[in-house]
Amino acid sequence: MVNAIEAVGLVKTFVKARSLREIFVHPFGKPEIIPALRGAELVVRQGEIVSLLGPNGAGKTTLLKILSCLVLPDAGRAIVGGDDTIHENRVKRHIGLVHSDERSFYWRLSGRENLRFFARLYDVPYRKTEARLAELLERVDLQAAADRPFSGYSSGMKQRMAIARALLHDPPILLMDEPTRSLDPLSALALRDFITGRLRDAHGKTVLLATHDLREAEVVSDRVAILVRGRVRQIGTVLEVRRWGVRERVFRIELEPHEGPLAGPYRAIEDAAEAGVRRLVLAVEPEVSLHDVLAALVGAGARVRTCSEEQPDLEQAFSRIVGAEADER
Amino acid sequence: MTRHLLKLWAFVQRDFLSEISYRLAFLMQVGGMFFSLLAFYFMAGMIDPKSAGLNGVPPFDWLLVGLAFQYYFSTALYSFSSRIRNEQVIGTLEAMLVSPTPTSIVIFSSAAWDFTYGAIRVLLYMLFATLFFHVRLDLGSALALALGIVLTLLSSAGLGILSASFILYFKRGDPINFLLSGATTFLGSVFFPVEQLPAWVRPASDYLPIFWSLRIVRGALLKGQDFAQLQGDLVRLALLTIVLLPLGLVCSRYAIRKAKQDGSLIAY
Repeated sequence: MVNAIEAVGLVKTFVKARSLREIFVHPFGKPEIIPALRGAELVVRQGEIVSLLGPNGAGKTTLLKILSCLVLPDAGRAIVGGDDTIHENRVKRHIGLVHSDERSFYWRLSGRENLRFFARLYDVPYRKTEARLAELLERVDLQAAADRPFSGYSSGMKQRMAIARALLHDPPILLMDEPTRSLDPLSALALRDFITGRLRDAHGKTVLLATHDLREAEVVSDRVAILVRGRVRQIGTVLEVRRWGVRERVFRIELEPHEGPLAGPYRAIEDAAEAGVRRLVLAVEPEVSLHDVLAALVGAGARVRTCSEEQPDLEQAFSRIVGAEADER
Repeated sequence: MTRHLLKLWAFVQRDFLSEISYRLAFLMQVGGMFFSLLAFYFMAGMIDPKSAGLNGVPPFDWLLVGLAFQYYFSTALYSFSSRIRNEQVIGTLEAMLVSPTPTSIVIFSSAAWDFTYGAIRVLLYMLFATLFFHVRLDLGSALALALGIVLTLLSSAGLGILSASFILYFKRGDPINFLLSGATTFLGSVFFPVEQLPAWVRPASDYLPIFWSLRIVRGALLKGQDFAQLQGDLVRLALLTIVLLPLGLVCSRYAIRKAKQDGSLIAY
């Protein structure tokens, strides 16, 4: 399968603007250099949704801007839809960028007039423009409001307009920068369903989505990438990332009343009997399987009622990954 | 080519729709044009028709062309940079630049409406002057006039794009506008003939496109000069255009690249 996006060793630094006072006090002082990306590596496969997570200043927006050809990297390369970002015009045909900024439209024009203007910039064939606008407005459920001024749209409607605009030229790849940032919970839910159901499942789009919302990342993503101080520290499925740095797996088990001692390849965190049931919380080494645990319990004469594995939390995993980066420094 | 023209037209439509959404302001501007003409009509009454540089043209007619084209020229000078800055501020520049339309086309097209509106204003000035102030315009040298206007448009666009390049790179503090807006009014023969200035200052006018533009327009419309008589001025304006337009385009390309390297393309 061809990769939709490949970032190879991307490096980007910014020069901090100096205030007038600094220029007068230290006229020959060197400006401060702020590293945004320090060799970021990322691969996004076709048709998958990857969430880009990271603390503020991790480099998420810079990475999206490099992939959108709005910023040039200092070093490294980015391949989008098979084309290097140095071939700006080719890359821009593969991508649609969904901004979180509601201001990115002309507020005195209607939704349809806005889309019509951007359709020209996206080279939508002139004769097919109106049909395309109608199709997109229907897809984002804005037909009824299409001829109202954009200034009267709710945040959810504005965000859906941003998606409609990004889809004008039917790009295979969508880059989204915090698309649900200003949405209420119901609108955010609807948008997530739209991203997974319509964009990925129905139309096979690849989505790279930068977000601070870990819950959102868990719900929509095939994989998540955690960017810390300009480097992708972890990338994998939500489960793989959740388990990162976890030294023990934890199982919650309920047994029929059983008095005897229980020994096996585990460490008991909790062992309590109440109301005719014995509850165990067992920690095991990562290489020990649930089968090994159950075999040991049954071997000791216990009768197992229920058993479940406690899943590590993405929030905790995120903290561990960010913390590990800080420890390395 | 058709694709780029359609884009240019999309910019004109967009800005026209925005403009007419402020209907009262639009009507007031048209009213303001009439009253400024009226003021100039009475001011012209104080000017001696035999003043140096008027060359027999009635003072009001002479001023009319200066007034109409000065707006057009300043539009060309300011509109690229102010439009780009406005798009940066309202947040739409990024949305345009991420589209497959080249940045140079975005910059060039952004001022399309202002040029169109400027042309409408020039026509309205001429119409008002003919209808209400009995100015007689000679349209016999239409070819020279049209060529002069196209060269005016291109040369001033060159300066405007140069100015926009400074805005893209420095965000504020554009020296092109600062230098040219003053020089244009003072040395361009806009409101008084350059012959009124001390002799040692006059040669500086030769480097201003508006000076040649106004000579061509006044020559064609007010003196009825034909193509042959205007040829020298057209060549000089064409030479300035050949220098200014590519200079503007090269500088804008450099400014865009630098702004992308600095990550400041959409910053303001």
